[in-house]
Amino acid sequence: MGFVGNLGDIFRILKHTFRQVFRRPFTYFYPFEDREYPETTRGRHIHIRETCTACAACVRACPVAAIRIDKEDKKFEKDCALYFDYTRCLFCGDCVRACRYEALFHTPIVDLSEGDRDDLIYGPDKITTLDRDPLEWRGRRFR
Amino acid sequence: MSPDILDESSVIWFGPQHVSAHGWAAKLTIVGDYIVECDPNAGYFHRSAEKCLEFRNFRQGSMILERICMMEAFLAEYPYIAAVEKIVDLEVPERAKIMRTIMMEFNRIHSLQFWWGQFAGELGLFVMLLWPWVDREYSLDAFEELTGSRHTVSYATPGGVKYDFTPKFLAKMETALKLVKDRMPVFNDMLAGSPTFRLRTEGVGHYTAKQALKWGLSGPNIKACGIPMDLRKDDPDPNLAYDLIDWEVPVINNEEHPGESDAFDRLLQRFKEIETSLDIIEKLLPILPEGPIIDPKARSKTNRLPEGEGYGRVEGTRGVTSVWLKTMAKAQTPWRAKIRGPCFASYYSLKHIVPGARFADFPAIFGSLDPYPGWWDR
Amino acid sequence: MQFDVFTWLGGLWDWVIGVLLWLWGFLMWPFLWEGPFDFFAWFGGLWDWVLGIFLWLWGIVNWLIFWVVDFVNWIWFLVSLPENFMFLFRAIVFPGLIFILLALIFTVWYTRKIWARLQDRRGPMHMGKYGGLQLFADAIKLMSKEIIIPDKAKRWMYRILPSLLLVIVMLPFAFIPWDPYWNILGSPTSPFPDLSVSLVLVFAILTAVPVFSLLIGWVSGSKYSLIGGFRAANNQFAAEIPMVISSVGPAMLAGSLSLYSIVMAQTNIWYIVLLPINFITFFVAAIASVGTFPFDAPVADSEIIFGWRTELSGIYFTVVYFAEFAEQMLYSALMVTLFLGGFNGLPFLAGIVNFAIKWLVVFFLFIVVTSSFYRLRQDQVVHLCWKYLLPLSILNVVLVMFALVYIPGLVPLVIGG
Ligand code: SF4
Ligand code: SF4
Repeated sequence: MGFVGNLGDIFRILKHTFRQVFRRPFTYFYPFEDREYPETTRGRHIHIRETCTACAACVRACPVAAIRIDKEDKKFEKDCALYFDYTRCLFCGDCVRACRYEALFHTPIVDLSEGDRDDLIYGPDKITTLDRDPLEWRGRRFR
Repeated sequence: MSPDILDESSVIWFGPQHVSAHGWAAKLTIVGDYIVECDPNAGYFHRSAEKCLEFRNFRQGSMILERICMMEAFLAEYPYIAAVEKIVDLEVPERAKIMRTIMMEFNRIHSLQFWWGQFAGELGLFVMLLWPWVDREYSLDAFEELTGSRHTVSYATPGGVKYDFTPKFLAKMETALKLVKDRMPVFNDMLAGSPTFRLRTEGVGHYTAKQALKWGLSGPNIKACGIPMDLRKDDPDPNLAYDLIDWEVPVINNEEHPGESDAFDRLLQRFKEIETSLDIIEKLLPILPEGPIIDPKARSKTNRLPEGEGYGRVEGTRGVTSVWLKTMAKAQTPWRAKIRGPCFASYYSLKHIVPGARFADFPAIFGSLDPYPGWWDR
Repeated sequence: MQFDVFTWLGGLWDWVIGVLLWLWGFLMWPFLWEGPFDFFAWFGGLWDWVLGIFLWLWGIVNWLIFWVVDFVNWIWFLVSLPENFMFLFRAIVFPGLIFILLALIFTVWYTRKIWARLQDRRGPMHMGKYGGLQLFADAIKLMSKEIIIPDKAKRWMYRILPSLLLVIVMLPFAFIPWDPYWNILGSPTSPFPDLSVSLVLVFAILTAVPVFSLLIGWVSGSKYSLIGGFRAANNQFAAEIPMVISSVGPAMLAGSLSLYSIVMAQTNIWYIVLLPINFITFFVAAIASVGTFPFDAPVADSEIIFGWRTELSGIYFTVVYFAEFAEQMLYSALMVTLFLGGFNGLPFLAGIVNFAIKWLVVFFLFIVVTSSFYRLRQDQVVHLCWKYLLPLSILNVVLVMFALVYIPGLVPLVIGG
């Protein structure tokens, strides 16, 4: 590779970088706009107690024992309360696959964060609904 | 070296809190600007994955393995599944075989894209650090579309795969692969075509094929020496589809120093790996048959395993990745699991490659071997 | 009323005599006392004595106040002389300190934005419009951080050196001819109309920069810092000579070492047209001398963490970080001055605007070039600078010499009108 060849290479590199300056940036303003999550996204779970049969298949399938089941806590005929420990959960999706009664699903909500570790244990009140506090910043509300 | 040189030496710890040493530490003895001794240390990343496997049943174990190396999650989880399938003699449907293979190659591409960026970042070009990672986002999006998770796909399961290909996924995969193909010339210019890159990598981190075999290197690190050692060809897993198609083992032969490789050769080798992976995916997609994606009996068969031993191995991005399982009769969990990571060998080969190099070359040598600390600490 | 040292000195002896007499009286009064000691008489006189002391003290204070007032008066008088006032205004406000600081803040923002664009990001976005206030936020954050001084560091050197570095880097801005009129040194109306060696002075001051890098690396008491300091010295050793020699070309064409005259000589033709290779060698050598990306071996973060800046924290790091940007700014300004015709340009724009436009363009080039190459090893830096840049720049000097002598129309063209 001679001197002239190197110069050519250098100009090609400069061309690539120079073009990049005028390209639209890839990133987006994360908390204010969010990307489209596909339906399959393995985010936090939602537990539908109407169809749950308290079979505990999800508890047995979980590789990290992130689910605790409380069979006494019945709202309907034969359901149970599930406690999801999101400090442990890997979002592997096995519990959802194990549930044969269409009672447990993933949701596309992936930004779980709490100020307290204990708040990450989602009890039956949180895990059965999708409600959550909207994000507020500088007086604007997002998502 | 004579001992009086060592009198003027000083010791520098490269890691564990170093910017480019994430989870490892090498003790470098330096005389002037030259490294005379390199002592790689393992153990900063230990998460006792092998012990963890002993407490997971055979459908759960692969989730642990994925977390060893996030960059090649599917390639990392697959050996475990292969081992289980060997113990139970599970027959995987044809469609699942091909789907697994496609995902594997796709994962390899994404891992190599990550490596491009990492290597360029280690050599001090932050523009190239970000460009491949932006392209990699499209691969991750495709993974998410298929499995729901961006990195840790948990795609395969003993007896088949978990999720079926959807048209949406195929479209996203096509975008991602097309981007990889389109951007290849740009990255070729920015990496292999860059005079400064050649200055930094040519003749750096030199070893011969003989040494590489002795140290137990595998994957691109040994293929760069001109040895076509590839598990995909040599020992194709019965449950993967590599033998269904015709493809070439990516291997480069440097005319200037045949049978040897330096950091630059290893870069070219990885370019070739990506081309091969693209080629394999292209050839596999048309022959994807219809049918089930999982053996319906697999679930009941993997509840309790017979006594036996299984050894699953696969050609990972960084080299041979394998898991050995020993089960007792009617076992719900493995009695013992052993993970063989590809990077243990490449990490400890630093001990022989590095001495004699300049201090500034250390990141180049290290980066070109592409080790990931998860693989040697497990 | 002006303060006159000799008048003051003449009065000093009287004052000394007075003090001595007072002391003498004070010592002697018990002996001079006549008759029996009358306590009440003594007590009656005490107040006078106290009052005397008060008066004496008041005299001193009074004198001091008058002296200070006089002194301030005198300074004010000096400042209010038109040429002095304009000089101070220039030095502190307009092309001087405040302008440079604002430009520095803008530069950091500009650099970060372009870096972000190059890396497919958006850069600072939230503080202010398009992240314009991000730097203030960063500065507050960095300043409020805990300052950790390593045990092995030489504490006072560690504290002083970063700010000295910033001062040294800021000094050469005084010599840059921003505008035909608005200049610190070298404007026609200033007390220093044409500093005839300003180019040499700029390089003389800049030579001190790597010394500071080396010293900071040395006194921080860490191996990474030490290696980084030596690498900084090595960079300068490699880049200084090609850079200085590259600046000889324009100086020879203009026939002057004064930056102002060099700019004035470029009214007909910019020297980049005549000396493109010289511009490139100066450009590369300037990048190497600043120690940014392709030549950032002194602060190579994948090798020696952050080089000589590893141990700096809080405000010290902020100051050093600013110093690097100030140096880049300075070199861009020098390139505009030497090769791009300084304030010459579009006639309907003010000189400073012309200068700023060119300066932004050069800075943009600076950033694009710095962020497209891999970091060179230290020995390769020396190789590049001494094997390619030095011969090229020397060749240019020789060519310029012959051209000046043998090409007939050249001299009137390059001297300017
Ligand atoms: S997603 Fe996986 S880790 Fe999380 S609760 Fe379900 S089974 Fe357990
Ligand atoms: S959620 Fe599904 S798997 Fe879990 S207890 Fe209820 S029915 Fe069974």
